[in-house]
Amino acid sequence: MNFLSKPIIYSTLIMGTLITLFSSHWLLMWIGLEMSMLAMIPIMMPNFTPRSTEAATKYFLTQASASMLLLFSIMLTMTYSGQWAIMQHQNQMASFMLTISLMMKLGLAPFHFWVPEVLQGIPLLPGLILLTWQKMAPLAILFQSFSTINKPLMLTSAILSVLLGGWGGLNQTQLRKIMAYSSIAHMGWMAAILIYNPSIMMMNYIIYTFLTTSMFSMFIMYNNTTTSSLSHTWNISPLLTAMMMITLLSLGGLPPLTGFAPKWLIIQEMMKNNNIILPTAMAMVTLLNLYFYMRLVYSTSLTLFPSKNNTKIKWLYQHTKHIPLLPVTLVLSAFLLPLTPMTNILF
Amino acid sequence: MAVNVMYFLSILFVMGFVCLSAKPSPVYGGLTLVVSGGIGCMLILSQGGSFLGLMVFLIYLGGMMVVFGYTTALATERYPETWASSMIIWGTLLLGLIMEFLLLYWWASNDQIEILVDCYNMGEWIIYDDESAVGFLSEDPAGVAAIYSYNCWLMFVAGWSMFVGIFIAIEITRGN
Repeated sequence: MNFLSKPIIYSTLIMGTLITLFSSHWLLMWIGLEMSMLAMIPIMMPNFTPRSTEAATKYFLTQASASMLLLFSIMLTMTYSGQWAIMQHQNQMASFMLTISLMMKLGLAPFHFWVPEVLQGIPLLPGLILLTWQKMAPLAILFQSFSTINKPLMLTSAILSVLLGGWGGLNQTQLRKIMAYSSIAHMGWMAAILIYNPSIMMMNYIIYTFLTTSMFSMFIMYNNTTTSSLSHTWNISPLLTAMMMITLLSLGGLPPLTGFAPKWLIIQEMMKNNNIILPTAMAMVTLLNLYFYMRLVYSTSLTLFPSKNNTKIKWLYQHTKHIPLLPVTLVLSAFLLPLTPMTNILF
Repeated sequence: MAVNVMYFLSILFVMGFVCLSAKPSPVYGGLTLVVSGGIGCMLILSQGGSFLGLMVFLIYLGGMMVVFGYTTALATERYPETWASSMIIWGTLLLGLIMEFLLLYWWASNDQIEILVDCYNMGEWIIYDDESAVGFLSEDPAGVAAIYSYNCWLMFVAGWSMFVGIFIAIEITRGN
């Protein structure tokens, strides 16, 4: 990308999301979503390969149809209530369409197929932006209208997302696809808690952002996109190997780590609402997720993955990429669990 | 009479999209989009939104004509496929049209056509100035005026979005 066009595109990306976050007018919310979607397209194809062009086109098509549905539901709300402010939807149909369009934008279960396809086609940094920053605006809209969302629709989508996010990632060797399926599963957990307690949804989103940022930073550092290239980490940076294991286990939600906090709170909150079967099913289905995280852990840090001899001298070379934020996000994604009570203050 | 016009235009509108989804080559996709867009403008026009209909026709369809010109210029086929060039496309088109008319028949037999009449009577596109004055203003120019006066920041956002739209289109098509 041209260095002159970069500030324009990135500022539009940031401004679009911020407009959606700060507005109370439906039309401006829609405009913000469209702006960040449009600005994402050139970020996704920095070197114009056919693969990234295809991914950007897929992203554009799904997001554009979701935006169209959102606009349609906004106009239905306008017709029936006569005003543009976010408020309780009287109209069931408009609320239904709003939910479905945001589900498409977030990549929740029946509309999740674009996420791995798009993520596999784009470089790592745009992938990170796609999985974290781009989720913020739709989640903010859901956060503001959570009380009118059709509960069976949202919960069905949530359990389907957790299931398919775990199931789809099982036999993958490509790291970006694995991260995409992991994103689908995490979105499922967020969707499940959304209708009961949206603050926990926001906390889950923030923690998921930390975890994904540290995972992608480690991938970006040595440009890893496959399991086999990730398995060479031991002769580049042994410390990073250990941290990768911890971050992956945190993504899977293992107790002493940060990733356990949202799962704990979500299960607790759902059981407080007398919903016992769903969190049980979700916790069991998330084991599929944990399985493919464990496979990555195994091939990176628990075994010496079979590799050619001439690839084992990478420790000779000096590190060229330095990611200053990496230690911070690593610590945040590993040791935040004791600070869980602080979420009461945050939200 | 007016309801009949709307009824007729609605049928044509859907017909345009049936043709679009059964398009044999991209050129005709552009063509049917232009036709359906024009019919959509006439639908708005027939309900009283004269300013909005005209604006959409001039600006949106003006842009669409440019896109259509580009697609025609870029389509290197000298003899593009038409709807009649293969039995499959012909059959798809016919199937779509038959489905439309079946749906229409089903609606008509269940007295659902009244929706169009209801739409037509949803209210005039006129707002009154105030009780003392006798000024009339059509709703669509009033909305434009409102956007320019107390929604000036919305104009700023819209202008920036338009600029970024064309900027991104150029950025991703210029190549390396």
